[in-house]
Amino acid sequence: MQQISQHLKSADLPATVFNLSNGLTLIHQYLPATPVVVSDIWVKAGASAETDSWSGMAHFLEHMIFKGSPKVGVGEFDWVVENRGGIANAATSHDYAHFYLTTAANHLRETLPYLADILLHATIPDDEFIRERDVVLEEIRSSYDDPDWLAFQSLCQTLYNSHPYKRSILGEVDLLMNHTPNMMRCFHRTHYQPENTTVVLVGGIEQESALSLVNDVFGEFSVPSECPPNIVNAEPPLIGIRREELHLSRLEHGRLLMGWVCPGAEHLPTAIGLDLLSVILAGGRCSRLIQELREEKQLVLDICSDFSLQKDSSLFTINVWLEEKNMDTVEKAVCDRLYQLQTTPITETELNRAKKLLLNDYIFSTETPGQLAGIYGYYNTISNVGQCLLYPQLINNISRTELQRIANLYLSPERYATVRLKPN
Amino acid sequence: MTTRSNQKLTPQNLHRTILPNGITLLVVENQAADLVACRCFLKLAGSRVESSEQAGISNLVASVITKGTRNLSALEIAETVESIGASVGADASSDYFLLSLKTISQDFGEILKLLGEMIRFPTFPASEIDLEQKLAIQSIRSQQEQPFNVAFGQLREMIYQDHPYGISVLGTEASVGSLTQEDILNYHQSYFRPDNLIISISGRITTETATSLVGEVFGDWQIPNNILTVQSLPELNSIPTEKVIIQDTQQSIVMLGYLGAEVKSLDYPVLKLISTYLGNGLSSRLFVELREKRGLAYDISAFYPTRLQAAPFITYMGTAPENTEIAIAGLKEEVQRLTKEKLSDSELKGAKNKILGQYALGKQTNSEIAQIFGWYESLGLGIEFDSCFQNAISGVTSEMILEVANHYLANPYISIVKPE
Repeated sequence: MQQISQHLKSADLPATVFNLSNGLTLIHQYLPATPVVVSDIWVKAGASAETDSWSGMAHFLEHMIFKGSPKVGVGEFDWVVENRGGIANAATSHDYAHFYLTTAANHLRETLPYLADILLHATIPDDEFIRERDVVLEEIRSSYDDPDWLAFQSLCQTLYNSHPYKRSILGEVDLLMNHTPNMMRCFHRTHYQPENTTVVLVGGIEQESALSLVNDVFGEFSVPSECPPNIVNAEPPLIGIRREELHLSRLEHGRLLMGWVCPGAEHLPTAIGLDLLSVILAGGRCSRLIQELREEKQLVLDICSDFSLQKDSSLFTINVWLEEKNMDTVEKAVCDRLYQLQTTPITETELNRAKKLLLNDYIFSTETPGQLAGIYGYYNTISNVGQCLLYPQLINNISRTELQRIANLYLSPERYATVRLKPN
Repeated sequence: MTTRSNQKLTPQNLHRTILPNGITLLVVENQAADLVACRCFLKLAGSRVESSEQAGISNLVASVITKGTRNLSALEIAETVESIGASVGADASSDYFLLSLKTISQDFGEILKLLGEMIRFPTFPASEIDLEQKLAIQSIRSQQEQPFNVAFGQLREMIYQDHPYGISVLGTEASVGSLTQEDILNYHQSYFRPDNLIISISGRITTETATSLVGEVFGDWQIPNNILTVQSLPELNSIPTEKVIIQDTQQSIVMLGYLGAEVKSLDYPVLKLISTYLGNGLSSRLFVELREKRGLAYDISAFYPTRLQAAPFITYMGTAPENTEIAIAGLKEEVQRLTKEKLSDSELKGAKNKILGQYALGKQTNSEIAQIFGWYESLGLGIEFDSCFQNAISGVTSEMILEVANHYLANPYISIVKPE
């Protein structure tokens, strides 16, 4: 059994963080009355770790993990889990790939070792590589049939010049055809290493068992390789409005997307301010844009605003579903509202409403072990797990002038990227 | 494997009462989190009570019911809900009409009062109907943007024809366009009555508090004198056909459908188990044979919803256009296999473990708990269906699967969406 080099538990954090001697992080929370354990393994091996020409590798690898290891056959892990009434799956983003497993507590010892083995010792067999590539190509094809996906990809491409956030996580067809099993093995051995990995266990398992199980099954990683590092250049700030327009057949109504590049996960108070601003703009029927553009002027079918926290630079978006003829008017109205946020403090009522909404959302989204595990793993991968606890406190502390300052710094009505989708 | 604080939902923490005015009240006391979820079901309502001329009326009522009561305007309602940070919504479904709310525990009483006003005294302002009607028609059009929806819409029509299950819960452009304020007021008048209402609550609240709050809000609501009746529905027969829609898409959607059984049928658990075996999860038969071994699809699955009347049983995949015929043959073959061969003991056992395990995992949040018991009650199955269903699954044999597959799954309806 490995030594534990460090053992952190803050007064407020209901979970305990262990840094194991091989560099792996374990986050554990015991929920005594829960008969379920969620295991969620987060690896800093998302699309941002790829160079441009390796695009699509991280996501394709996530598929190939399920093809097994020298000890675990193709599909064997899925069978072992589901045959015991459990659920497993995985997802890849720019900042991470994560693999999750929900089982009854008494089945954890029979299932987690399989997941650990395929993660640490993925074989990536040549013939399976060729076959699974067809599956990824189908995934890409189906995305191309989704106008909202196309619009969002186009916005990212327009907004980011150099950062990998500009690319689709799925990759491009011609690049995928050039990737080889050897390249993928190299990518796997480079990135699936203990210092990049957070294992989260939440539910009906006590600390001692959790530690000993994780030490047992996450002890031996593969010998590291070194695939070409991706040097991420700082994204230059926008100096004007960047526009893109797509024309699609099979489009029943238009889309207008607007996006702003914002600070990454290291500036959590700013991120939370931007979260609040997105609620004030378009979270709920009382919000400024929904009230004005959907309810009163009836210029849009729907409008939403989203702040997505990312490691290097976060993304603030406004998405509008509307008729083509209203696009100019609506874009101008959005810019007017942004200008207003910069020049006039929001009311105390609006601020309180937005705070309440986010605070309650936080309560509503920490109800299950799966939700908790996801939050811990996500924060620990893009920043550190302690940050997620600050969330309610940071929301409570933020003032109207602070929000005005944040709007001024990041949500300029003169510097943004915008994409319009129009029917052919 | 149910909730965070309870190993099992025993009769000790699930309380069912019928109030004097006919409201069915279900309360699950669950201390796990500081919140309360509530689902109000109007059991005789939803698409199944709609005439084809008025298809989509339930959905329109759901959009407008939150937009005006005798005392509050649309904006005032939104302000009340949002300043508390609650979530309140209304939805129409095939078999019922649903209002949902979720709040932190201390706000529950206040929001329940508001929900009571919406249920009992909505005003359905003409201006709000106009707006939501226009938006509903746009939603119907936007279904055309998703090839899956196009294929499913076509299949539903092929299987159900004039039956209300044949039309999307959104209705059609023509039917929604023709709806008037009077139609909506009549709908409310007919179906919103205490003897048609089930209130299902789960969260950090005692049964006493819940009962007294519900009594304050709904206690003086009288049952109307008339008897609530619903239209008789056309009989359903399986007459498989095949149809193709040509669209400019990257992928073909291949969808095979069968007329399945209603939830009260003895065949229901058997079909549920078959759909799990075929289409649920990464180790399911379709996933392994057609995706993992042959790389034909990314999205491939089977589903069989729980319905009061004969529900559709569907298998589908999205595939490269040149693989369309291979995909049809592959899906057909996999279902046909079940009409000829018995499942092995380990396959049967695996499918049962999977469905029972996932069923338990589907009752983790308060919203899920309030939903499932309220829903069973609204379908007339009673809360005991929760355990009856699990027992029935345990009792399924491979002989039963063979027989049920032969009865329902011999010949598919085929719906295709593909490029030229």
